[in-house]
Amino acid sequence: MAKDFHLEALKNISRRHFLRESAAGIGAVALGTFLANCGSGDNNAKKSIAAMVDPMFPKSPHFPGKAKQVIYLHMAGAPSQLELFDFKPELQKLDNQLCPPSLLEGKKFAFIRGVPRMLGPQANFKQHGQSGALISENLPHFSTVADEVSFLKGVYTDQFNHAPAQLFVHSGSPRLGRPSIGSWITYGLGSENNNLPGFVVLTSGGKTPDAGKSVWGSGFLPSIYQGVQCRSEGEPVLFLNDPEGLDRELKKGTIDAINEINKLHYDEFNDPETLTRIAQYEMAFRMQVSVPEVMNINNEPAYIHQLYGTTPGKASFANNCLLARKLVEQGVRFVQLFDWGWDSHGTSANESVDYGIKNKCRLIDRPMTALLLDLKQRGLLEETLVVWGGEFGRTPMQENREGKTMPFKGRDHHVEAFTMWMAGGGIKKGMSWGETDEIGYYPINGKVSLHDVQATILNQVGFDHEKLTYHFQGRPFRLTDVSGKVIQEIVA
Amino acid sequence: MRNKRKILAVGLGLYLTFTGCQENRIDFNTQVKPILNKRCISCHGGVKRNAQFSLLFRHEALDTTESGKVAIIPGHPEDSEMIRRLTAKDPEERMPYKEEPLSEEEIKILNQWIKEGAAWGDHWAYITPKTVDIPKPEALSGFSAPPESLTKNEIDFFVLKKLTEENLEPSKPADRSTLIRRVYLDIIGLPPTVDEAEIFLKDERPDSYEKVVDKLLSSKHFGEKWASWWLDMARYSDTKGYEKDVGRTIWRYRDWVINAFNNDMPFDQFTIQQLAGDLLPNPTDDQLIATAFHRNTMNNDEGGTDDEEFRVAALIDRVNTTYEVWQSTTMGCVQCHTHAYDPFVHDEYYKSMAFFNNTRDEDTPGDHPTLRLYKEEDQQKLESIKSWVEQKQGSERAFEIQQFLKTLEPKYHPHAFDQFNKGALLDNKWLGIQSGGSARIKQINLTDKTNLLINYSTGQTGGSFEIRLDRLDGEILGTGKLDRQNKTVVYPIRAVDGKHDLYFIFNNPTIPPEKAVCSVEWLAFLEDFPGKNSAEYISYRNSFLHLINTNVESVPVMIENTTDQYRTTHVFERGNWMVKGKQIEPDVPKSLNPFPKEFPRNRLGFSKWLVSPENPLTARTVVNRFWEQLFGMGLVETLEDFGTQGAVPANQELLDWLALQFMNEYQWSMKKLVKAIVMSATYQQDSRLSEELRQRDPDNRFLARGPRIRLSAEQVRDQALAVSGLLSTKMFGKSVMPYQPEGVWNSVYSGEYWKQSEGEDRYRRSVYTYIKRTSLYPAMMMFDASTREVCVSRRIRTNTPLQALVTLNDSSFVVAARHLALAMMKDHETPAEQIKSGYKRLVVRDLPQKKFEILYALYKKAMDEYSTNADATMKFTADKNGPSPQLAAMTVVANAMLNLDEVLTKE
Repeated sequence: MAKDFHLEALKNISRRHFLRESAAGIGAVALGTFLANCGSGDNNAKKSIAAMVDPMFPKSPHFPGKAKQVIYLHMAGAPSQLELFDFKPELQKLDNQLCPPSLLEGKKFAFIRGVPRMLGPQANFKQHGQSGALISENLPHFSTVADEVSFLKGVYTDQFNHAPAQLFVHSGSPRLGRPSIGSWITYGLGSENNNLPGFVVLTSGGKTPDAGKSVWGSGFLPSIYQGVQCRSEGEPVLFLNDPEGLDRELKKGTIDAINEINKLHYDEFNDPETLTRIAQYEMAFRMQVSVPEVMNINNEPAYIHQLYGTTPGKASFANNCLLARKLVEQGVRFVQLFDWGWDSHGTSANESVDYGIKNKCRLIDRPMTALLLDLKQRGLLEETLVVWGGEFGRTPMQENREGKTMPFKGRDHHVEAFTMWMAGGGIKKGMSWGETDEIGYYPINGKVSLHDVQATILNQVGFDHEKLTYHFQGRPFRLTDVSGKVIQEIVA
Repeated sequence: MRNKRKILAVGLGLYLTFTGCQENRIDFNTQVKPILNKRCISCHGGVKRNAQFSLLFRHEALDTTESGKVAIIPGHPEDSEMIRRLTAKDPEERMPYKEEPLSEEEIKILNQWIKEGAAWGDHWAYITPKTVDIPKPEALSGFSAPPESLTKNEIDFFVLKKLTEENLEPSKPADRSTLIRRVYLDIIGLPPTVDEAEIFLKDERPDSYEKVVDKLLSSKHFGEKWASWWLDMARYSDTKGYEKDVGRTIWRYRDWVINAFNNDMPFDQFTIQQLAGDLLPNPTDDQLIATAFHRNTMNNDEGGTDDEEFRVAALIDRVNTTYEVWQSTTMGCVQCHTHAYDPFVHDEYYKSMAFFNNTRDEDTPGDHPTLRLYKEEDQQKLESIKSWVEQKQGSERAFEIQQFLKTLEPKYHPHAFDQFNKGALLDNKWLGIQSGGSARIKQINLTDKTNLLINYSTGQTGGSFEIRLDRLDGEILGTGKLDRQNKTVVYPIRAVDGKHDLYFIFNNPTIPPEKAVCSVEWLAFLEDFPGKNSAEYISYRNSFLHLINTNVESVPVMIENTTDQYRTTHVFERGNWMVKGKQIEPDVPKSLNPFPKEFPRNRLGFSKWLVSPENPLTARTVVNRFWEQLFGMGLVETLEDFGTQGAVPANQELLDWLALQFMNEYQWSMKKLVKAIVMSATYQQDSRLSEELRQRDPDNRFLARGPRIRLSAEQVRDQALAVSGLLSTKMFGKSVMPYQPEGVWNSVYSGEYWKQSEGEDRYRRSVYTYIKRTSLYPAMMMFDASTREVCVSRRIRTNTPLQALVTLNDSSFVVAARHLALAMMKDHETPAEQIKSGYKRLVVRDLPQKKFEILYALYKKAMDEYSTNADATMKFTADKNGPSPQLAAMTVVANAMLNLDEVLTKE
C-alpha cells in the first residue's frame, strides 16, 4: 500500500535518495517551470519527475479521506472543561467542601497539596440546538453552531505539566524529538500549493507554546515538513522581505542570474541536487509574493471582519482564524493555531476560572464560530477538519498551591478527563461522545486517549495511523506510538 | 613486525579456506536474517512472542512452542513446524498470518538453512573486527590505468577492490583549486583565502598537498570545525530545555571540546574524561568540565514538575546517547522490551543504566552539582585550606574538603523531605515551612557529623529552626536562627551514630501565618572542620565559609553519589519509571565484549570498557562518523544504528581496517585518522557525476568519485563572514548573539531575551552562537542545524525555499555581501575585474566566461537601477559616505554569488 504514494521513496531521506530514480531523464526537462506546472496534471511525465524531485508533491493517502486539510485550534495552558462544555450541577452542591481522600490517593498534581476544597462550576450552562448540547454562557456565539460539532468529553492524558503534555498532544510523545501531526500529514500528503508552505503555524496570546517550537517540529522527518510560523507582526515568514533598497525587479534579476549560473554548473557536475536548488529558489521568489498576499486581511469585505471580529495588523486569535480559512482555501494542508493564556490556576485575576476565563472566551468565541460558519458558506467545511482542545483539563477541586488558599478561583491541571471538539471533515454533526462522573473527575464512558484523537485525525485525512510510519533509529515510528484507535462514534 | 604480519596472513588464509569450502551453504546473516526480520520477527521476536515462538536467539528458536511442537529442528526441515506453517494451505494456519505468503525462493532458503543445521550467525557489528589484509594490486584489475597509479594509501586499495567488484572506474583527481577548497572546508570549516590557494597552486613539490593538510590539522580552527560535529552528539546547548528553557552556563564544556580536538586528545582519553572524568584520581578542573558531556541533558524547571521524573528522563537520555554515540546501537528500544531485532534483552538496558544511575544531579533548578570556578585570590585560599587540612588529617580528607568547596557535594535537596506539616515544596523546588510547621528528612548518616549547612533565603527577621531526632518530639540535635539573608550558614549539631530520620521545625511568630519562615535550597551534613585545637583553626574555618558563600561562575558537572546516597537500580516494567521491577547490578550486554574483572563497575569502568580493544563497535563507530563528515555518507550509512536494521556496510573491509588502524597504529589520534582519509586518492577524486555514476551509484556508496555535499549550517554562515572579511578569529568564552530578527524568542515565563552582541562578537564563528533549545538561531535551523534536544548522529540535509530566503534576505548575509563587494572594489578598478575577483575569493578559481557574462549583466541591470535611484541606493548600502551606485550594484552581484550552488557546496 505504502508503495503507491512514494512513502517508500521518502524513507531514510537525504534528498539525494529520492533524486536517484529521477536522475536519468531530468536534464531533458525544461528548467525553471517544471515545478510550477506540476499541479495541473496535464503532463504525466513532468508530474512523475516533480513527484520525485519535490518532497511536497501531492500524494494520495491510504484511502480517500473525507478531509483534505486540517485546522487545529490549540488553547495553550489548558482551558477548564468545567466552565465551558462539561456541566456538573452536582459539583455545585459540593462547592467549598473538602475533597474526599478517595480522589487524592495515589494521585499526583502539579500544585495541589494536602486536601483541597471542591469548586463548583463558575458559569451557567444551557442546552443548545437540535442536539441539546450543554454549553456555558461563556460561549454565546459558539452555542449557535453546537449542531455542527462532535464533542469528546472523556479525553485523558498522562502528562500533567504543560510542555510535555503539549508535545504529547501534537507529537504523540511527551519527550522532544518526534514529528508533529502537521509534519506527519504534510509528509503523507504533500502540499496542494506550490507557493505556500504545506504546514503553517499561527500564534496568539503573546507567547509561543510552553514546549516551544518543537510542537510544530518535524522531529526525525526531513525538516521540509516542519511547520512554518507565519507572523502577524514583522515579516510574515522570517527573511521573507527583500532587503531595503532592493526592488522586486532586481530580485528577479538576481534569482535569474543565480539559476542560470546554477544551470551551467549543473551541466558540468550533473548533480541533481543543483536542480532541486534551482526549483527552491524559484519557489522562494513566488513565496515572497504569495505569503504576504495570503497573510494580508485588509482586503477582506467588511462583513467578514464583522463575522470574525478581526482587526488587521494585530496578532490576535480572531485574525488567525480568518488567516486559517484563507490558508486552507489556498490549499495549505495543516494550519495550527496556538492561543496562549488558558492556565487558570487562580494566581491572578487573569488566571482565574471565573473572571479570567470569561475574558479569554470573549477573544475566541466569535472567531472560532465565524471560522466554522465561513468554511461552511464556502463549501469548505466538509473537506476541512477543525479540531479544538487544550493539553489537559482542570481539576474539580480548587487549587491550593503549597497548601494555601489562592487569591482567585483557580483549578489545577487535570489529566483524567477533559473536553475536545471536532467539526467538518467527515465528523458527525451534533454529536457528543463520552461522559464524566457527576463531578467531572473521571470518564465513565467514551474514554478516549490522545492517541485515539490522533488516529481519528489521520483517519479523516485518509491514513491508517498504524501504517503511516517512518524508519528511524532502528524501528518504524508512527504518530500514535504503539496505541490509538479511531473514534468511530464521531465519524460520519 | 614482519613476523606478526606473516602470522596474520596465515590466519587469514585459513579463514578464507574455511569459508571457501562452505561457499554453497546458506549464510544466516545475508540470506536468512533479512527474511526473518522482514517477515517473521514482528510477531515472533523481542516484543511479541506469539505462540511462544521467538526468532531472536537460536536457543529460543529451537525451543518448544506453545502448541508443543518444535518450530525448527536442525537438519530436518520436513519435521520443522515452521516450514509446515509457511507452506500450509489452510489460511488459518499459513504464516505469516493474514499476510502475503513468503516467496518460493524465500521458503527454499529457509528450508535449506534448516537442512544444513539452522546455524545462527552473529551480526557483523557485534564481532570484534579481525585483522584485514590490504588488497593486493594483482587483485585489482579492469581499470584504464594501473592500480598503483590510482592509489596514494591503503584506503585506496580497499576502495579499488570494491570498484573492481562493481565494475566501476574511479574518477580523475580533482583540480587543485577544487581540492584545496575542499580540504580547507573539511579540516577547518572555512574556505582558503585567495593567497593561501595561490601558494598551493604554485607549489609544485610532490608533498605540497600534505603540507597544506599538516598546516590545517595544526590550525586552531580545526577544533572549532570538529566541535560543531561532536556537540550535536553531546546535545550541547546554552539553555536547559523544556518549558522555561532558561540559560545554563556550560560553554566551558564547548571550549573543552575545541581544545581537546586542537590538542589531538586521543579518542580513548576523550571518551574516559567525558564519561567519567570525575572518577579519575584527583581530577583536574578540566577533567570535571569534560563530564558536562552528560550534563547537557535537559533540566525541567517548569512549576510543579517532579524532579525524580526528569532525573530519570535525563538518565535514560544518557544511556541512549552513550550507546548511540559510541556503539551505534539503538539501546532506546530495549527500554520498554527486549530488542525486536538485535540481541539485547530488556534487563540489559537497566544493567547499563545502573552504571549511570549514581550521579548527584537530581533535576534541581540550580542544575547541581556544579564545578565552582574561583577567582585567583579565592583559588589561593582554597589551596591553602587544602594543604592545611592535608597537614592535619591527611590527603584523603584534604581531597574531601576540596571537593566540597568545588562542588558543594554531597548535599541534600528539598525533594528529600516528606511529612510536611504546614508547609510544602514551593513551586516543587524549595522547602517552605510556615511558623510552627515541620518536615522530615529520612535516613541521614550522622556518624561524626557535627555541622549542618543550610542554604536558605528569607526577607524576614526573627526566624529559627530546630532539628529533632527520629520523632517530631524527639531529642533536639541542634537549633539556629534564620535571619534576613540569602546564603549558606553553618550550625553545630550533636553527633549521633548511624542513620536517623530528622525533623526540621521552623518558627517565626512575627510573620503572618501563611508566609513561609524561609525557603531552603539545600543542606549538607559535615564532619568537624580539622584542627579544632590549633590557633589557625578559626581563620581557616572562616576562610572555608567565605568560599562557600562566594558567588562564582559554575559549570554543571558529574559527581558520583557517596555510599550514603547510593541508589539501587531496578528494571522499569515496560519502560515505565513508576513501575519498578527487580533490582539489578551494573553490567554490559552479553552480545558485546565481556566486562573485564579488573575494571570498577562504575562509569569509569564502563568508559574503559567502551574503548578497550575488544569492543567491537567503538572504533568502527568513530571512523564511520569521521568518514561521513568527509564524504557526506558513512561507510555504514546509518551512523546511529549498526544493528540488523541499520544499513549494510558499503565496504566492511575498509571499515574494519580503518577501525583497527585508528586504535593500533594511530593510537586513537583523530588528527591522524583525518589525515589518512584526506591523503587518500579516493578523497582527492573529482566530484562530477558521470551519467553512469548518477545511474548506478548516485549516493557515492562505492566511492568512484569525490564528495559533493552542501555546506553545513555553520559553514554557510562562517564562509560568508570569512570571504567578506568580517569573520572574527576570537576564540572561546560565553556564547554570542549575532543579529537575529525581532520577535523570534517569545519564551514563556523566563523573561530572557536575545541581546545582540557588540563589536566583533557579532561575527564570531557559528560554533560560538548562543543555542536555545526551544528557539534555535533561525538562519542555522533552516540549514538543518540540530536543536540539541537529543543526540543527533547525522543531520539530514534538506534543500528548501526557506534556505534561499536566508542567504538572499537575512540582513547578516546582506551585510556580508556588502563587505564582500567593498573588498572586491578594493581589489580592482573595473567592475569586470571586481566581479572576477569576488568569484575567486569564494571558490578560489577563475570565473568562466559564460558565468561572468551573466553576473556582469546583473551588475549592469543593478547599476541602471541604482544610478537613477539615490534613495534605494542609500537604503541598500547604508553607506555613511553618501550613495554609491557602484557599491549597491556590486552588493547585488556579491549577494547573488553567495547564493550560487557551487558556493553553498563543497565540491
